[in-house]
Amino acid sequence: MSSGGDGILSRLATWTENLSEQAYAYLLLVPGFLVLLLFAFWPLASAIRMSFFADVITSASLGEFVGFQNYVRLLTNTNALAPAAFVDPSFETPILEQALFMTVLFAVLSVTGETLLGFLYAMLMKAEYKGRRLVRLLIILPWAIPIVIQGMIFFLLFRPGYGLLTEPLQQLGIFSSLPLNTTFDGFVIVTVADIWKTSAFMALLILAGLESVNQDLYEVADVMGASRWQRFRYITFPLVFPVLMVAMLFRTMGALRVYGIIESTTVGCSTVPSMTCLVTQMMFGSATQYGSAAAVSVLIAIVVGLFIMVYLGFIRRSNQSLGLA
Amino acid sequence: MSIDARNHEDAETFDGTGDESGGEPGDDENRSPIQRWADDWIRNPEKAYAVMLVFLGGVLLTTSLFPLYWLFNVAMAPPGQTDIPLIPATIDLSAFVQVFQQVPFARFMFNSLFYAFTVTVFVLLVASLAGYAFGRLEFRGKTPLLFALLVLSFFPPATLFIPLFRAFNQQVPMLGLFTLPVEIYGTPGAVVAPLSAFTMPLAIFILTTFYGQIPDGLEEAARVEGTTRLGALFRVIMPLSAPGVATAGILTFITVYTEFFFSFLMTGNSAAEWAPVVDGVIAFQTQYTVRYDLQAAASLIAIIPVAILVVVAQDKIISGLTQGALKE
Repeated sequence: MSSGGDGILSRLATWTENLSEQAYAYLLLVPGFLVLLLFAFWPLASAIRMSFFADVITSASLGEFVGFQNYVRLLTNTNALAPAAFVDPSFETPILEQALFMTVLFAVLSVTGETLLGFLYAMLMKAEYKGRRLVRLLIILPWAIPIVIQGMIFFLLFRPGYGLLTEPLQQLGIFSSLPLNTTFDGFVIVTVADIWKTSAFMALLILAGLESVNQDLYEVADVMGASRWQRFRYITFPLVFPVLMVAMLFRTMGALRVYGIIESTTVGCSTVPSMTCLVTQMMFGSATQYGSAAAVSVLIAIVVGLFIMVYLGFIRRSNQSLGLA
Repeated sequence: MSIDARNHEDAETFDGTGDESGGEPGDDENRSPIQRWADDWIRNPEKAYAVMLVFLGGVLLTTSLFPLYWLFNVAMAPPGQTDIPLIPATIDLSAFVQVFQQVPFARFMFNSLFYAFTVTVFVLLVASLAGYAFGRLEFRGKTPLLFALLVLSFFPPATLFIPLFRAFNQQVPMLGLFTLPVEIYGTPGAVVAPLSAFTMPLAIFILTTFYGQIPDGLEEAARVEGTTRLGALFRVIMPLSAPGVATAGILTFITVYTEFFFSFLMTGNSAAEWAPVVDGVIAFQTQYTVRYDLQAAASLIAIIPVAILVVVAQDKIISGLTQGALKE
């Protein structure tokens, strides 16, 4: 029995040994891409197709083919049933109530905050001292909290009347008396809640990058009399840079698709309408608009794609200036 | 003062060991403590750096842990109390017991742990193969394929829900070719498959980055010694990239463990029907009442497995290039 299994395995091994590098690479990609094809690429293609069909508000189905009509209505703010404006070309709607601008602002603020905090956390997790294991655990914990609970924590902190932070912030004139129902306040709460949780994600990835830096390099730097800043600039930063970029890339994509935390803090999509809010409201709301919901998804993908292009350009340029690629 | 500092710093560089007896002791008595600290730190920058780190660390930890501490407070408040004090009036841990009495919370946790464990093992394995190909091999179509992975993350997961739901629940043919068996809906399979697909791009990107950084020489040495191609991946590349593998593993595990959207919609509402742990936490919320104390207690209990995982995986993260791995 086992010898038969070994026979197949060893034959498989010999077979892979003789493949060209290119063929071997494709072979290694097959399992992953098979899963992705079935459970990600295929549903994605179906959704994109959906975006070109009319909404049928009374049932969970699609109407006739309408081309780009769903997109045009979203971009001109003429979809009367849309729960909020995706973008308002007349700019009569406040910036934070236009899904596009609200989300982009959220993404920029939260990713900046998370990266800075994440870097500090990662340094704290890397430095050597007693109790480091505990500190590492404590730093990662917020990331382990389900979004529903994260929402509950911030809801209880800011709820009108009782919330621990409601009154002090109101007296300082920063928040209104109903912070969870005010667009600006809600936006701030959601951003802070997001930074609180996902800094840990950043920290963990940056830490992994820091830990992979060959410590011998620092010894060489010490011998050469490099200052702390020089060590950071010429060793730590260039070597952490690739991981940092992966982390920021994925966090930016995550932030541009923000949704869960808006609902779970009870701030709600009607107060802080993110782009993904529109998708879920149109899909699961009382008036189902599958076509328009799918169109919003595609628009989100385009916005995210533009951001990613900026990142990739930046990575390419930095790689050159850091002498990496 | 600044010239003085310079001299001290230079001296520091030359003799290397930051000895504290460097300054004139008679001087110190005439100065204020602040001046003495400043002087000490200038003479000994490492010490100043350590003090700064401790201070910064303290502030950061306090702010980041405050919401968690507060959650603990909520768990100890009597039922129905919404005005949560900063310091709990009484230490009452009964909520932590009630959680298990009122709902089968252990089963809810088991369900999510099962999802998280299955997806993590599967994703790490499959993403390792792909990460190796992307990070270490040259082939045509590499950049477009990597970009295709990224494009998946451009779309909100909710977008994929309706086609997937139809495939699992209404037997709409996938790719227009074949239908999934009816029995899969409501079983772990309907959660594990899509969640594997959603968490895979990030895992592949992390592993590609780390696998790509391992010097070629190490792999070649192993190959010369007769290790197979696949063997080189699992015996050389993966152990050397332990921080990356552990990080990808932790991130995948936590993402799936705390996932709600798909694991909620693809399963039933009760623990026996494979509902996720978040469902267990929400179970204390009925139409008219919300037991915040039980929700808080339940969420603190739910964090424990993740905390254990992080503690265990830490050693993997720390054992980077410098420790042990090179000896293999």
